[in-house]
Amino acid sequence: MNGWILLPVFLPVIAGIFLLLMSQCERRRLHQAAGAVLVISAVLAVAAAWTGDKSVTLFYLMKDIPVYFHIDGISRLYVTFTSIVWVCVGIYAFVYMEHEGGEKRFFGLYLIVYGVIVALDFAGNLVTMYIFYELMTLTSAPLVLHNGSREAVMAALKYLFYSLCGAYMGLFGIYFLYQNCDTLAFTPGGTLNPVLAQDHRTILLIAVFAMLAGFGAKAGMLPLHSWLPAAHPVAPSPASAVFSGIVVKAGVLAAIRTVYYVVGPDFIRGTWVQTAWMVLALVTVFMGSMLAYREPVFKKRLAYSTVSQISYILFGLSLLTPMGITGALLHTVFHAFIKSALFLTAGVFIFECGKTRVSELTGIGKRMPKTVWCYTFASLALIGIPPACGFVSKWYLAEGALNADVGVFGWLGPVVLLLSALLTAGYLLPVTMKGFFPGKRDGEKTSAGNSEMKSSAVDIRDAQKKEPSMMMLIPLGILASLTIILGVLPNPLIDYISQLISGLM
Amino acid sequence: MQFVQNFPFMTIILSLFSGPLSSILDGKKAKRVNLAVMSVITVMSCAVLVFVLNSGSSYVYTMGHFPAPWGNEIRVGILEAFMAVFFCVIMFLCVVGGVYERERELEDTKQNLYYVMVNLLLSSLLTLIYTNDLFTAYVFVEINTISACGLIMIRQNGRTLEAATRYMIMSLMGSGLLLLGICFLYDLTGHLLMSNIREQVQLLHQSGTYNIPLLVSLALISVGLAIKSALFPFHAWLPDAYGYSTLSSAAILSSLVSKGYIFLLAKIFFRVIGFNIVRDSKVVNVLFVFGVAGMIMGSINAIRENNIRRMIAYSSVAQIGYIYMGFGLGTTAGVLASLYHVLSHAATKSLLFVAASGITDASGDNTEFLELTGAGYRNKLAGVAFTVGSLSMVGVPMFSGFISKLLFAQAGMESLHKMLPTLIALAISTILNAVYFMKTVIRIYTPVPQKLLQKKGFRSVSVKEQPYKSAALVFFIILNMLLGLSSEPVIRLLRSGLAMFS
Amino acid sequence: MSANMMVVVVLLPIIFGVLVPLIPFKTRRHMTWYVEGIVLLTSLLVWALLISRPDGSFTLFRFTGNLSVSFRLDGLGTVFAGILSSLWPLATLYSFEYMKHEGHEKYFFMFYVITYGVTLGIALAEDILTMYFFYEMLSLVTLPLIMHTLTREAILASRTYLYYSLGGAAFAFIGMIFILTYGTTSVFVPGGVIDAAALGDRQGLMLLIYVLCFCGFSVKAAMFPFSSWLPKAGVAPTPVTALLHAVAVVKAGAFTVIRVTYYSFGTELLRGTWAQMVVLGLTIFTIVYGCSRALKETHLKRRLAWSTVSNLSYILFGAALMTPLGLVGALSHMVFHAVMKICSFFCAGAVIYKTGRNYIHELRGFGWKMPKVFTIFTISGMALMGVPGLCGFISKWNLAKAAVSSENPLGYLGVAALLVSALLTAIYMMTISIRAFFPGKDFDYDTISDVEDPNWMMILPLVIFVIAMFVFGLHPEPMIAALESIAAAMN
Repeated sequence: MNGWILLPVFLPVIAGIFLLLMSQCERRRLHQAAGAVLVISAVLAVAAAWTGDKSVTLFYLMKDIPVYFHIDGISRLYVTFTSIVWVCVGIYAFVYMEHEGGEKRFFGLYLIVYGVIVALDFAGNLVTMYIFYELMTLTSAPLVLHNGSREAVMAALKYLFYSLCGAYMGLFGIYFLYQNCDTLAFTPGGTLNPVLAQDHRTILLIAVFAMLAGFGAKAGMLPLHSWLPAAHPVAPSPASAVFSGIVVKAGVLAAIRTVYYVVGPDFIRGTWVQTAWMVLALVTVFMGSMLAYREPVFKKRLAYSTVSQISYILFGLSLLTPMGITGALLHTVFHAFIKSALFLTAGVFIFECGKTRVSELTGIGKRMPKTVWCYTFASLALIGIPPACGFVSKWYLAEGALNADVGVFGWLGPVVLLLSALLTAGYLLPVTMKGFFPGKRDGEKTSAGNSEMKSSAVDIRDAQKKEPSMMMLIPLGILASLTIILGVLPNPLIDYISQLISGLM
Repeated sequence: MQFVQNFPFMTIILSLFSGPLSSILDGKKAKRVNLAVMSVITVMSCAVLVFVLNSGSSYVYTMGHFPAPWGNEIRVGILEAFMAVFFCVIMFLCVVGGVYERERELEDTKQNLYYVMVNLLLSSLLTLIYTNDLFTAYVFVEINTISACGLIMIRQNGRTLEAATRYMIMSLMGSGLLLLGICFLYDLTGHLLMSNIREQVQLLHQSGTYNIPLLVSLALISVGLAIKSALFPFHAWLPDAYGYSTLSSAAILSSLVSKGYIFLLAKIFFRVIGFNIVRDSKVVNVLFVFGVAGMIMGSINAIRENNIRRMIAYSSVAQIGYIYMGFGLGTTAGVLASLYHVLSHAATKSLLFVAASGITDASGDNTEFLELTGAGYRNKLAGVAFTVGSLSMVGVPMFSGFISKLLFAQAGMESLHKMLPTLIALAISTILNAVYFMKTVIRIYTPVPQKLLQKKGFRSVSVKEQPYKSAALVFFIILNMLLGLSSEPVIRLLRSGLAMFS
Repeated sequence: MSANMMVVVVLLPIIFGVLVPLIPFKTRRHMTWYVEGIVLLTSLLVWALLISRPDGSFTLFRFTGNLSVSFRLDGLGTVFAGILSSLWPLATLYSFEYMKHEGHEKYFFMFYVITYGVTLGIALAEDILTMYFFYEMLSLVTLPLIMHTLTREAILASRTYLYYSLGGAAFAFIGMIFILTYGTTSVFVPGGVIDAAALGDRQGLMLLIYVLCFCGFSVKAAMFPFSSWLPKAGVAPTPVTALLHAVAVVKAGAFTVIRVTYYSFGTELLRGTWAQMVVLGLTIFTIVYGCSRALKETHLKRRLAWSTVSNLSYILFGAALMTPLGLVGALSHMVFHAVMKICSFFCAGAVIYKTGRNYIHELRGFGWKMPKVFTIFTISGMALMGVPGLCGFISKWNLAKAAVSSENPLGYLGVAALLVSALLTAIYMMTISIRAFFPGKDFDYDTISDVEDPNWMMILPLVIFVIAMFVFGLHPEPMIAALESIAAAMN
């Protein structure tokens, strides 16, 4: 009886629906209920994940297509970091959502999305994964348009349609894989029927590419990346945090499942698909950083940063070597913590000071030093400065690229990664620098146009030191410290991942 | 010799003489005499039909006991008898249905003259059906032309005079060609009796001599009769003649007069020349091409027309095209389809004319489309009847038009090269028919605002107000549905009649 | 249950329908009882027939010689008759409420009921002539329903409808004649009836005629370039657009196409020929075209109508794949789309009925005022998009499965078209829902204070449809298995 592993799926979903349908209730009660369900589900999910490989068939959607869940190494990894981030961000949100309003709806959906993502992580075959992939899109879209403004609605629609477009491209591939695979159940090394695959090589390659590009939409890969910068600024910060940290990773998960568990890396190694995938990923890495560098709105800058960082992961996956995948998976985990932490700080800035633009944050370090320190640690991790964790993953990625047999990309990849890291430093660190060292000569030099901005900046500089409430600070602190801890002690994780990969390749 | 066998001759004579009789009676009495005569003729023709059906073979009736090749003969088979019955019924209904228009539109002094024409027309039609003598046929063709002319002209306005003149010119040209053709045949064979000519023609054909003169005479006759029955492109006279003459005339002309010529043509093909020779000649192909062209062009003209009567008239051009296309297929099945279409078109077109008059009646005698708006609500029966007629014309199942379309298509399938043109032409023509007939149907069921209703002098016409017309309409509808739903007996009749024909 | 029963189910609604305006009902309520009674009775009889599946055939009357109007119930007919008999009573129930504000109810219900009989005639037709007969009848009896409001727009729409329908029938006629001539029999036989020996070297001709016939019948299924009548016909009262223009009439078009393809011409002769490519190409184009037009449309019902255009071509696409799997896909979409589209139309109808608003931009904020209707509308929209768990996903899956396994390049293209269409569907359906639920921060709800959910007569059918969507979406296996057994007869 493995049915209980679905409890962390159903519990939050049902509780979430219940919350949505419930009539208005007291805030405190709401928080208690939502928090309890969230924590219990997270514990259940992690417990389910770490008690061995289990599988359960829920029911048969069609004759040969069961809705089938199977917990394996990847599931474990995903569920764990998802749960950590989700709980942290959830606690943070109890305070944060006060100023956004509509808490009942937010937490209802927040719980539902969690359940769906756990199901997505547990999914044991391609169709099941697709089902929850699409459900995740649909249930998470209302999180984006939470404040109901026109831009938010437009952003949500953009998110919805880009994601669906990606999902349908994925579905296109699934149709073809269904015909040409022995089974759609995830099997390390792939299940492609060699005879059929040889006959339909061309169309299959097209199908796989469609899937990669389609799932890439969720992961913010070019050319379907532009929903990210649109959605993040308008969504509530906790939502942005989980979007960037977790939801986009679903695209990565789908790509991993497709390439390593259904198609098999051998099928696409050396084909145009691999090349195209690599090129797209690298271009995205660079473009994302460039755009982030030029972006004045803080959350949008972080969004572009996500675009860039997720493509690090995709680049690692596209190498099709153990080293590359190790780097990719490490970066997946690290980026989840880093980016949620970054967005949570952005949320703090908005919540406490109402500042959304980078230029307005001059002097912020004086006001809330702890928050800005958290931000700085996370930034360092993202840039990849040792001992923060980003260094480890980037090291693996670069080395993977150098060792992989991918021709010109073997050296071009690391170069692009390096360039992007420089840009990352360029767009993240100014906040810290200006935050702590606002500079004195600002006011004298700037022209009349900037004086207004200066005055607002002066506001912060002159403000009393005031940290956000502990409910916000602690989750932020946990996430930020995780980025450092994992950077100092990456070995258990690396061991786990390499063990995982040894089964794959 | 049974007494019944005299009936064909007697019907001809009866209608021929009741014509002059009508001329000395006043309008009312003439009408009664006319209707009585037509009823009697219908009954007698029915008796003949029953007789022929029972005997199972055709018989030849020699007039004045002069034997062939000198005497004049009548030949009666199933087809002839059936056609006679059918023509009588249609004519009866046309005359009945148009009685109000006639009384309103014609001067009192001319009422009786109308029945003279009708009687003469009937007698000439019957003769064309029955006669076995080519020259007699010619003579009655002329009588037919003249009486038809009279029917057009009798409602006097500028347009009818012009129309009658046009009709006269075209018709006489057709007659002339027909006469020339007959002369050629007489010259070649030395006979005027159809069966005798045929023997000779077959001999000539077998010996291979005089092929060209034979072909020429066939062509002359075909073209002559085609002109007279308004095959495209010789249809210029038709819209005016049908469009502006009084109702009964239009109905009779469109449904019967042209059909008489067509029947004669069929007769000449089968009985005078022999269908095998006709088929081998290229004449059929020409007829086919013009038939198809007529189907399309007639409908296109009808679509452009803005006057309901003229539109129906143009639709006749299209329908005549169908019939010639059937002949043009050069197969027995094609001819069968054409003959069926003669029936179905006769039943439908007269229905349409009568119904259209009911509709215009309710619209202050306006025939323009815009004025007909909502007429279907004002004159319910006419509206329904027009709808039925339209559906039949479009070829919707349940109505007679569908069966003829079916027969045409099936006949077309037998022919190797003409198959595709036939099918496509049928389809396109169906669409075109739908365009103008359905446009009208929808128009008459489009409601008009109450204000306009008052202003334009529209009125409601109840069924009781015009019992004759209503009765005629009901009978037409029934006839149409009969032909559409239980066509099998009719087709069997036509088939056995056609087999007996040659 | 004997075969004679088939005549009864066809004629019963026709005859009793004609009587509707003739009977002097005391109150409106009596009339509604009468109408619902007839429809229910017919449906019950149909269900009895479907369960007992009598094997014989019954001839109503003969046109000519061997051409007759006769009925027989086979697998394909079962599917269509099943759809009709399930939806008709619900739609009738809905229309009692809806038609209150439209007037001329007696005539409306007369034709509404007659149409039921005629459509059943198509479903139960034994041979191609019978089918053609009822197909033509269908054009005629539905015409007054489109004209119902008698506005200028309605008249023009009905005219367009009639031209298209009769024109289509004219070309379908050609196909019928061909089958009557070259078929071994005019009766529908799985796998086709064309006598290859009689056909000889006229293969090319047959293909040409097949294409003409396909186009002719698919006029009713609104295939490009014959699709523009359907959105125009949206002027009809919503019960008509919902039941007839999303289900009965348009599905009749698809049904006839399937009949001639699989049961008359036979897929063996057609598969892999240029004719198949042409029809596949047309359907694929329509799938995308219909969706794009829906996207551009701002009128609610017309948008749904364009969506129908696209979805019908899913069915035609499945049919044109000419494999048993394709048939399964086509039939499953036929069933599922019926449920989904009638549901979304009824929601649109509820909006129009309660508020008289027709355009999408007028629906802002309605989601909170008509929560039931818009929740259901959103679900039906998701089903149309093909969200897993709802029935649209299943039919799309089956269609794609068939297309992929057909190994036809155009089939592959069709899969892509299906998904493009799914995306477009998402765009045009979800924008409506999002607008309705999230009108914007500063939206003034007072402007729509009069808006509320309709009463149970309208909600009940909707709820049933939603349940059906979930049931078919989560447990489609019995249905698919039944359809597969029908398709299995093709081999």
